[in-house]
Amino acid sequence: MSDEKTVITLICERAADVHDILNKEGQCTTVPGLKAITLPCSGMIQPLMIEAAMKAGASGVIVCGCQIGDCYYREGNKMIRERLLGERPPGLKKTVDRRRVMALWLSRLQKGRFETEAKEFVAYCSQLDGDVKVAAKIEGAKATPAAAPAASGAKIDTAPAAVPAAKIDSKDEKPKPREEAMTTPEAKFEPKETAKGEAKATGTDSGAQNAEGAAVKAEESAEKKADAKKAAADDATPQAKD
Amino acid sequence: METSVWTKVFLVTEDLFNKIATSKYNPLYYHGALPQFIMYVLFLSGLLLFAYYVPTIDNAYVSKNLVNAFTSVKYITNDIPFGAVVRAVHRYAGDAMVVAIVLHMVRVWFTDRYRQYRWVQWESGIVLLIMVLFIGQTGYYLIWDERSLILTRMTVSALETIPVIGVGLGHWFLNGRAISNLTLSNFLFIHIGLSFTLLFGLWIHYVRMTRPVITPPPVVNYVLMGLLLLVVYLFPITATKMADLQSLTTNSMDIDLFFLFPYWVLSQTGMFGFWAFTIIGTLAVCLIPLPMGAKPIEAAEVVNTKCTGCTFCSRDCPYQAIEMVPAPAGSRFKLIATVKSYRCSGCGVCVGACAFDAIDLPNLLDTDVTEKIKQLSKAQS
Repeated sequence: MSDEKTVITLICERAADVHDILNKEGQCTTVPGLKAITLPCSGMIQPLMIEAAMKAGASGVIVCGCQIGDCYYREGNKMIRERLLGERPPGLKKTVDRRRVMALWLSRLQKGRFETEAKEFVAYCSQLDGDVKVAAKIEGAKATPAAAPAASGAKIDTAPAAVPAAKIDSKDEKPKPREEAMTTPEAKFEPKETAKGEAKATGTDSGAQNAEGAAVKAEESAEKKADAKKAAADDATPQAKD
Repeated sequence: METSVWTKVFLVTEDLFNKIATSKYNPLYYHGALPQFIMYVLFLSGLLLFAYYVPTIDNAYVSKNLVNAFTSVKYITNDIPFGAVVRAVHRYAGDAMVVAIVLHMVRVWFTDRYRQYRWVQWESGIVLLIMVLFIGQTGYYLIWDERSLILTRMTVSALETIPVIGVGLGHWFLNGRAISNLTLSNFLFIHIGLSFTLLFGLWIHYVRMTRPVITPPPVVNYVLMGLLLLVVYLFPITATKMADLQSLTTNSMDIDLFFLFPYWVLSQTGMFGFWAFTIIGTLAVCLIPLPMGAKPIEAAEVVNTKCTGCTFCSRDCPYQAIEMVPAPAGSRFKLIATVKSYRCSGCGVCVGACAFDAIDLPNLLDTDVTEKIKQLSKAQS
């Protein structure tokens, strides 16, 4: 696990109280693979910072602010929320994989909630990393038409138990997962409570608004799940022809 | 970052409301907007009452057909359809306004959102609260029942103890040297005139805030109106006796503690105690925002060579601390951002809004943050 990637958390110092679970290097002691940087307000987070983290090799980014409506500085969390949703400039570049960005809105007392959400997200991101590697291997080996579906089947079996099945994104087997994520930010970040797969993850606490990133993931996978099987089956043919 | 016990109390309560209503409809997140909504309710119900109210006392000719302040209020209550409801809504909405304002005040106090760059809001809020209390008190004079008379006499005697100007103030208050037909028109003027002056006070209250939250979501308003009507239904306003200028014997009355507590203090402690309570109390509340123990604020700074004049930061600043001014001659851009440091909270929203690294918190440069992010991202790979 030496090439284990990290998830970076950009957290408001007045949101979930994480200062006692961080060591000096910003490493989270209770969630392996998670590092955090505290800022005076989540509104200070530039979309550029998220891009920088991704470029430097972070597996994912968690943005954590206070409960929406309760920003100490009035509107910081609303600002970064709107920026991530593409409703307010400057927005996140289209090249950033939306699945690897999660926003959490947690009050001072919701440290436990932060840890559970973060653990799940770290697992989800490493799952994405794993998928990319498998996809790269398949591509590298120029798998035969028969082998490719088998590989995809095996991948789903090896999914870590921690990740809900709904979150496994079969589209990643395609050779170009990055381009697949390059749709409009609005579509990807709709913070709707309608995401069914998300109910389990966030229904435990105060409203679905709290964990929009999770909603994004779940919604994506909900829409992709339908064509996932088709995609997995279809994939093999064009690949083989290449 | 320390969390005080009081902040925790509010966080726990708010979390409870979030579970019931979600954060979008949490009434505690609209503590500042609620008094404003109640003010509209008061304006509207007051307008309806004003249509039938007659501001005279006419006590010299007591007869069945007497039209004065008291009988007009009685007419509104008994004869006009829903008149009693409108009157009760007006009274209880006034009480609700005091409750909402005090809740607002306590919350911003206990969650430490009242000082430094927010001092204008705190001080103007105190002025607004005092105005609301005085408006409410004049509302009680207007009914012109026995209580009104006692309150009027207490107020005049309190005013007359003020040195030099006291007697004149008393005469101003009564619109003459004694209670007359002109007295109530003065009360009505104070009641309504001061109510509209609230709007001016609110302007000062909001002037340093970008996009102040002044309207709760409709659902919250409906629930509030429902509660208000429930109170109106459960506790209808009881009939009282008309004021009698000849009587000097009445020495007890019902007290609405939301508005009339100063009179309770006056009756308990006497004149000296009353003025001590009023002056010391007001001063103490005004002095609360003195910056004792507060972390000094390092205002954001614009990097003049990088600023492109895009206005994002000035639009996003929650405290109107960034002003766009014409760029100096020779610049490639039309505008440049400037920070009014006395308004800046050091929150960094402008840093997040800037795509050109052109604005910085001096104690936390965004380049340093980005460097640290890069370093942390790389560390394990």
